[in-house]
Amino acid sequence: MQTPPALSGFILVFVALVMTIGASNAQTPPASTPTTSTPATGGAKITLNVAPGDPPGEWHRAARDYANTRYSPLDQINAQNVANLKVAWTFSDGTHNGHEAAPLVIDNTMYLVTPFPNVAYALDLTKAGVPIKWTFEPNPAPLATGKACCDTVNRGGVYVNGKIIYNLLDDHTVAVDAKTGKEVWRTKMGNVENGETMTMAPFAVGNKVYVGNSGGELGVWGYLAALDVDTGKELWRAYSTGTDEQVRIGSDFKPFYSWMKGKDLGKTSWPAGMWKHGGGAVWAWVSYDPDLNLIYYGTSNPGPRVPAQRPGYNLWTSTVFARDANTGMARWAYQFTPHDQWDYDGVNEDVLMDATIDGKARKVLVHFDRNAYAYTIDRATGEVLVAAPFAYLNWSTGIDMKTGMPVVNPAMEPKPNIKLSNVCPPDIGGKDWQPSAVSPRTGLIYAGIFNICMDVTDHPQSYIAGTPYDGMEMQRHPAPGGNWGEFMAWNPATGKKSWTIKEKFMTMSGVLATAGDVVFYGTADGWFRGVDARSGKVLWSYKLGSGVIGQPITYLGPDKKQYVAVYSGVGGAAMVSSKMKGFPPRGSTLYVFSINGESPHSAAGMLTTEGGAAAAEPDATVSGRR
Amino acid sequence: MNIDYRCLKQAIAAAAALLVLAACHPSEGGSTAITPTGLPSEGLIARVPLSDFAGIASTTLGSTVANPYEGQQQAIAEGKNLYVKLNCAGCHLYNGKGSMGPDLTDSYWRYGGTPANIYKSIFEGRPHGMPAWGRALPPEDIWKIVSYIESLGGSIKPDQYQAALQGDRPNEQIAPEVAAAAKAEETTAPGIAEALKASSSSTTAPAQASDTQATETSGANHAQGKQ
Repeated sequence: MQTPPALSGFILVFVALVMTIGASNAQTPPASTPTTSTPATGGAKITLNVAPGDPPGEWHRAARDYANTRYSPLDQINAQNVANLKVAWTFSDGTHNGHEAAPLVIDNTMYLVTPFPNVAYALDLTKAGVPIKWTFEPNPAPLATGKACCDTVNRGGVYVNGKIIYNLLDDHTVAVDAKTGKEVWRTKMGNVENGETMTMAPFAVGNKVYVGNSGGELGVWGYLAALDVDTGKELWRAYSTGTDEQVRIGSDFKPFYSWMKGKDLGKTSWPAGMWKHGGGAVWAWVSYDPDLNLIYYGTSNPGPRVPAQRPGYNLWTSTVFARDANTGMARWAYQFTPHDQWDYDGVNEDVLMDATIDGKARKVLVHFDRNAYAYTIDRATGEVLVAAPFAYLNWSTGIDMKTGMPVVNPAMEPKPNIKLSNVCPPDIGGKDWQPSAVSPRTGLIYAGIFNICMDVTDHPQSYIAGTPYDGMEMQRHPAPGGNWGEFMAWNPATGKKSWTIKEKFMTMSGVLATAGDVVFYGTADGWFRGVDARSGKVLWSYKLGSGVIGQPITYLGPDKKQYVAVYSGVGGAAMVSSKMKGFPPRGSTLYVFSINGESPHSAAGMLTTEGGAAAAEPDATVSGRR
Repeated sequence: MNIDYRCLKQAIAAAAALLVLAACHPSEGGSTAITPTGLPSEGLIARVPLSDFAGIASTTLGSTVANPYEGQQQAIAEGKNLYVKLNCAGCHLYNGKGSMGPDLTDSYWRYGGTPANIYKSIFEGRPHGMPAWGRALPPEDIWKIVSYIESLGGSIKPDQYQAALQGDRPNEQIAPEVAAAAKAEETTAPGIAEALKASSSSTTAPAQASDTQATETSGANHAQGKQ
């Protein structure tokens, strides 16, 4: 048996685990939907609602379920056999910008969405070589490539009502028939000439699909909108700044903390008129609680990024909203970073779970903010129950639990045209958009986080449509310890780390948790790892062609065997570390792993391609060259 | 684009390409390419190519427009100020190393790195996100920004226009056959004239025939002038 060179350093571990497997049954059937918790050492007692209850072997939306758990009930791959994972098949999509999307798997078909030019592919998992079933080329406007702040990424699609719905970089949302690959509808959501782009994976509940814009660095007016799944018609739009009417704040809006109560705060917490270009873009995740019928999502940093230009709290930027899923009316909000001075977007995922905190059962959302605090918040009321730093920070000395306000360290407040050194975390935060995963079996939530600081000089800006409304000159460097990345297991009830793995390179991939008690994540230099969910022991590492900033998923193939899939294609914010020795080239390859690399897709003998369409040949021209 | 080959030929033949080109341009309205403010005229800049010339192996045309503020410290300082104030740094960064937009400090230029090429990229914008500033800024300001970009060290000198197109580097070796061919300046292959002649013999609708004829005539002049 040949061992890939990348595994040579792990031969001892590998051999040991092969021996273990011999004595165990590696082919247990998929576990039923888990609802209860058996906490690991350091874990919390938690319960997950995994609605809408998609088939265990499929993956219909980026986070798998409404609660954003990224937890799969599959357990064929487990701590005993994960070391035997090998490549089963690969697919190169021919685009070389940052690959941040999660693949989707429905009915033995895998669906992929590429970075700009946002080609969608359907791959036939039932045939040898996994051929292309259909190719959809939306041809978005090239102008968008130079308006996107942080690479021309896309975070994937959502499967709903027989359609794959996703966002194009040029501010259009498209729905594609999952069977035929034909466009069903296309809705223009914004004007790319104003610096507005779209990168988020849409989120769907019932007949509504929720989308928002990107462009917090370009002075956009942030919003979340609900579109009709079948027609693409916009049903409502809730802006992140402006009057209560524009923000969809009404009489049933009840923020937990009094400083967020008042009329038109989205307008009056800004200097006159500045809310119009105040950012609050909605470019990452939405989650949904079917019992409360509320959706949750965060808003981006305020604009411009020079705080001296916009005294005030700058509501509702860097904020989490809870909204009625039907009407979009806000029920509560909580601003993580009032008057954000460091580019601490509040967009990171809100993972919903029921947890026992101080002996009481609470319905909570757990959120690792860019500002490096982890929040456990009562998702019915917006009360902060736990707030604790998860990454190195010095901008704040703590959270006042009476008001929910962070205590700002005045020494770390930037002033115009003065260089301020060692501000931690930097603009991209203690953690960026890369989503965490939670396991009800361990009571731990797992996240790739950063250990980075910045030197920053603010340059006051004027708003010029279509150009950055930014003003931060930065150099990023590792925080104490020297490592750029870290992968951690976090107890959401206590606000403490259970275990942690320091990574030399950035950890900007999504996380996948499984019922096999293996957690998967990747690094910016291209290592894809499987970790013991309880102990944090690295059980398996595989070096991919490019860095991993995608979102790993797992599914059952037509052979009813478990596969793990992840994109390898570095880019996005991970390029802040691109000058590190050993930093990989860009890439475009989806890797799919199985135990021993076995699959119906490869075999001895003459296999041939029985495809339904040819690949796109996208224009590879990109905005920058980094 | 309607190319006036006769003008082009005159320009190539005459060493003073600037003056002749301007004189041949009907919209130029003057006999000089230098405007009263001392800046290259819009028409002249418009004719600076972004690529190689069809049918012409070697020409100095790409090298003819220099930055009127070349090397002037005051202009560089003003250009830097504009670069920051107009949010250029948001895309190209404060050190010019690029992020949303390309690196401006190296020798890789997608849309040309001579001062005139850079001027045009600012004036016209570029399709991957660079806005067009020609309506917003007077030419003086654009040239000052060009001065600042040149001061970052990565642009291409006007006389290196063709060398940059061909990927040449200082101090590189040149194969003898290539060096010998390069000495034959202003070489033009007869291909374009031949191609146009061939098209005139094909059947065309009457309305198009006169256009074809006119093109052929100028093409023929062009070929003739080569001999």
